[in-house]
Amino acid sequence: MTLRYLLPLLLAAAPLAVSAQVAEAQTRLKTAVTEVLAVADRTANRGALPEKLRPVLQKYVNFDTMTKRAVGPGWKQFTSAQQQEASKLFSTLIIRSYSGKFTPGEHPDITYKPAVSLGADRVDVPTSMVYKGSHYTVVYRMEQMHITDVVIEGVSLVANYRSQLDAQYKKGGATAVISSLTQSVSRPQ
Amino acid sequence: MKYHAFALRLLLLAAAPLLVDCSSPANTSAVKAGSSDVAKGKAAEKVGPAKDEDADEYATAPDISDPLEKLNRGTFWVNDQLYTFILRPISKGYEFILPRPVRKGIDNAFENVKYPVRVVNCTLQGKFKRAGQETGKFVVNTVGGVAGIFRPAENIPALANLPEEDTAQTFAKWGIPNGPYLVLPVLGPSSLRDGVGLAGDYALNPVNWPYLWWYAKRSKHDWVIVPPLANTLRSTPAQMEKYDSITKDAVDPYLSARSAYSQNRAEAIKK
Repeated sequence: MTLRYLLPLLLAAAPLAVSAQVAEAQTRLKTAVTEVLAVADRTANRGALPEKLRPVLQKYVNFDTMTKRAVGPGWKQFTSAQQQEASKLFSTLIIRSYSGKFTPGEHPDITYKPAVSLGADRVDVPTSMVYKGSHYTVVYRMEQMHITDVVIEGVSLVANYRSQLDAQYKKGGATAVISSLTQSVSRPQ
Repeated sequence: MKYHAFALRLLLLAAAPLLVDCSSPANTSAVKAGSSDVAKGKAAEKVGPAKDEDADEYATAPDISDPLEKLNRGTFWVNDQLYTFILRPISKGYEFILPRPVRKGIDNAFENVKYPVRVVNCTLQGKFKRAGQETGKFVVNTVGGVAGIFRPAENIPALANLPEEDTAQTFAKWGIPNGPYLVLPVLGPSSLRDGVGLAGDYALNPVNWPYLWWYAKRSKHDWVIVPPLANTLRSTPAQMEKYDSITKDAVDPYLSARSAYSQNRAEAIKK
């Protein structure tokens, strides 16, 4: 009897939960962007920017998931230590790459479009960005309120690295992946 | 003979922006991304990541068949040297001489002139509403924006940020597949279909019309090379920036460029 009344209620509440999740994802993304820009503005020394941004980005980006996806199916063959090493190197590479995009005093003009729930705690937050006079469409893919991929003009960061790291894995397994990441990280900027 | 070889080189150089525009994240409006779209993107020809039972959506991200990889990698290396030692210094010089607002105005004017490329391809793809919007944008920017130097159409929501259209996208809409991935000398990432599409874009761009006319007539009016050369020069800084953003922090710059190219094109075609 109780179930008969409860079920419609539960069904009616489901969309509300989804919309709350979507709204929360967007809010969290806005907070992340604001924090990142504040740090970038405060940091006069551009060489120090990656290390200044690291704690902020680690709060909002799930680098472990990102690395796992970027490596692809081979990830399961990595030992725990290799996974940690790969994740550390990959996050360093991404943070460095991201930090390099900032020009002092330049702020992107971001329009947040309605977020889309993809189920299972996954939300896409599409944005439209104007930076240095050019338009970009950027979609932030979030899982459990953490960014796990960024799609810029249709190019997924994770898919892009997947094409490279999967090839490395096929060449020489986990060792080749870690070695290639080490090489990229140590490349002078 | 020498005269024609020189003309061909100029033609290639002048076409560079057309291709590189397509080869990397476009600066104007190339792609309206939906990561779900990327995730579900149809892989026309897949060679990339392996699939297994745990393969997620990234295993289906668009990739392109690359039977000429060895040759392509060689061309990629040559292009990289060319960009590093010739085009990047030229680009830096251009940026040093002209302040950004001036460069932006020049870019705007050249993009505005490309109106026939966009409107013809919108029409050929049956996108008549967008062809109308392109026409409106062209009129507003040409009249209100001093020959397209400014972009007042960006303030009109219906005309702002319209997706790019080109001949290769039209071919794709008609069902013509990518064909093999090609790295063209100087021009960079492409495919057989997109390479052919470039010829269409080149012919439709008014910047090249005097040059094409001159070439057909075999007459000598050297000034006609100025618009295509200027077009190449003005687009070089943006192209170098895009190239760097794709290759700088890559594990394998060649694969990074190929993946970015195929994803970007797949997305542009969807719009």
